[in-house]
Amino acid sequence: MSRRLLIGVVILAAFVLGVIYAWRIAFVDGTELLFNSGWWLVLLAPFAGVLAAGLTRRTDPVIEGDRVLRHDGPAMLEHWTHGVGTLVLLVTGLSLGALFIPTLLGTQQIWAMMNVHFVAVVVFLFGTFYYGANTVLSWRRFNEHLPTRNAFKFTVQHYGRLLGNKKYAMPPEDKYFESERMAYLLALAATVIIIVTGLLKAAAHMVSIPGAVMGPATLLHDIAALGMLVFFVAHVVVVLLPMSWPMLRSMFTGYVSVEHAKAEHAGWVRRIESGSKESVSDKATERPAA
Amino acid sequence: MSENEEKKNEEVAAPQGGLSRRQFVTGLGGLGLGAILGGVITGGLTQPAAAIAIPGSEGYLVVDSHKCIGCDSCMMACSLTHHGNLSFSQSRIQITQNPFALYPDDLTVAQCRQCPFPACVEACPTGACHVDAANGNVRTVDPAKCIGCERCVNACPFTPSRAIWNGLEKHAEKCDLCADTPYWNEKGGADGKQACIAVCHMHVITLQKDVPVQAGDVGYNVNLRTKDGSAQLKLPTGDDGFYTPAEIAAAKAAAAAAAAAAAATAERISTTSGAAKPRNAR
Repeated sequence: MSRRLLIGVVILAAFVLGVIYAWRIAFVDGTELLFNSGWWLVLLAPFAGVLAAGLTRRTDPVIEGDRVLRHDGPAMLEHWTHGVGTLVLLVTGLSLGALFIPTLLGTQQIWAMMNVHFVAVVVFLFGTFYYGANTVLSWRRFNEHLPTRNAFKFTVQHYGRLLGNKKYAMPPEDKYFESERMAYLLALAATVIIIVTGLLKAAAHMVSIPGAVMGPATLLHDIAALGMLVFFVAHVVVVLLPMSWPMLRSMFTGYVSVEHAKAEHAGWVRRIESGSKESVSDKATERPAA
Repeated sequence: MSENEEKKNEEVAAPQGGLSRRQFVTGLGGLGLGAILGGVITGGLTQPAAAIAIPGSEGYLVVDSHKCIGCDSCMMACSLTHHGNLSFSQSRIQITQNPFALYPDDLTVAQCRQCPFPACVEACPTGACHVDAANGNVRTVDPAKCIGCERCVNACPFTPSRAIWNGLEKHAEKCDLCADTPYWNEKGGADGKQACIAVCHMHVITLQKDVPVQAGDVGYNVNLRTKDGSAQLKLPTGDDGFYTPAEIAAAKAAAAAAAAAAAATAERISTTSGAAKPRNAR
């Protein structure tokens, strides 16, 4: 068993056991809500993520024979902790948010949902702060996610081509499609709002916070969660399409084929081959689109 | 190779004699992690286990339902002072009336009992329903923390539940002895004024500091008529809402005395009339 697989299995097992524990403990008389008894884990998780990032050595994308290293181990760790945490947060959060019309949960399940939400919060915070600290250590990785001036043009070409319009050629996309980069802004904004307001909501279990603060924070938390839901559903739907399967596979193996990379991410491959770490999307603007 | 390059670039980016960005991030994470773990461990070792006893409220509403005329002024005042509108649904004190029952069972005043062992507080999963130490330990709901599970509403052992669901603002709420009344310019809480008491012209409700008898309703539905002007007004002051035997005996004696006085007066008039010759007598 490879080291990466072992780490993944251990983290997944810990998460599943945490969820089971959180659910079962909710039905035991005399126990506290985990947000009350384990509040310190909410503070610990971000620092653990930052520390882990500081101790992490990243590996840049590189062409190895007929395959390209797209995601190193840390990329997979931050993606899956953030992603699985988001999924569980959305499920539990939406369940808790639908208490009014209609009431989806009985009173017995509410405590359990809150506890599972807590476990997901810890995982989500670790993954997100791990990603954030990695980004601080290497801003070019952040720039890779931001849309460029080609955003609209490349997106029209890309999806026009996918829809069979011969007029368009596949644009020389970089590591991430321009459409993904635009969606990233939504995910980024939603994540920041969710974390800030979520930490306030968690802090309300430890200290007294005025209702005038909690009211808007709760509303913002809910709105940002809906934004994240839109992003998440779109992300999963696209991943389920066959054209995305090589990327999905690379989120487990780390690699995509050179052939696929050249077909879908010509700009990125060109950048790796040139040895440049900076995105070439801006340079690619000068190239003819078709 | 790329890994080494990255490391090299970071080290180059570090100012002379200062921290590199990676050293700063690692140090920040390590310090934060250590501080929290250290705080939790140290706190757990040095601080005693949290007391589980819930401090008693410093004020209790007690009522005399036999005096209540069911005008619902207290309900309107409660809603008005807390929410700024007249809504019986948003009143934390409830007057229930049974048109098929006779006095004194036709009307009930359901005020929060500020229980020494509050089931609503125990049931709340988020700490929204809590003991407010800043306001005389009154049991109240923080709407910001309420997630709307209505556990407190269901947990209250009394009917109607003293914790109520605010359907307009989507949160639970309960009597806070007017500690938080944004629409009333008076200090409330256990040491302040209560809108229901202030508005009741029958003086049905009062605040007491001592913990009422918890068994049944005798501690909370008390006889307030012996302490006001009811006796002077010849109103019943019995604990059951009716006249006491002494009052009945006194009333009977008074009635007998009045009857005797009336008879004497009639006799006197009759005697006086017999002595005098009628005007048309021959």
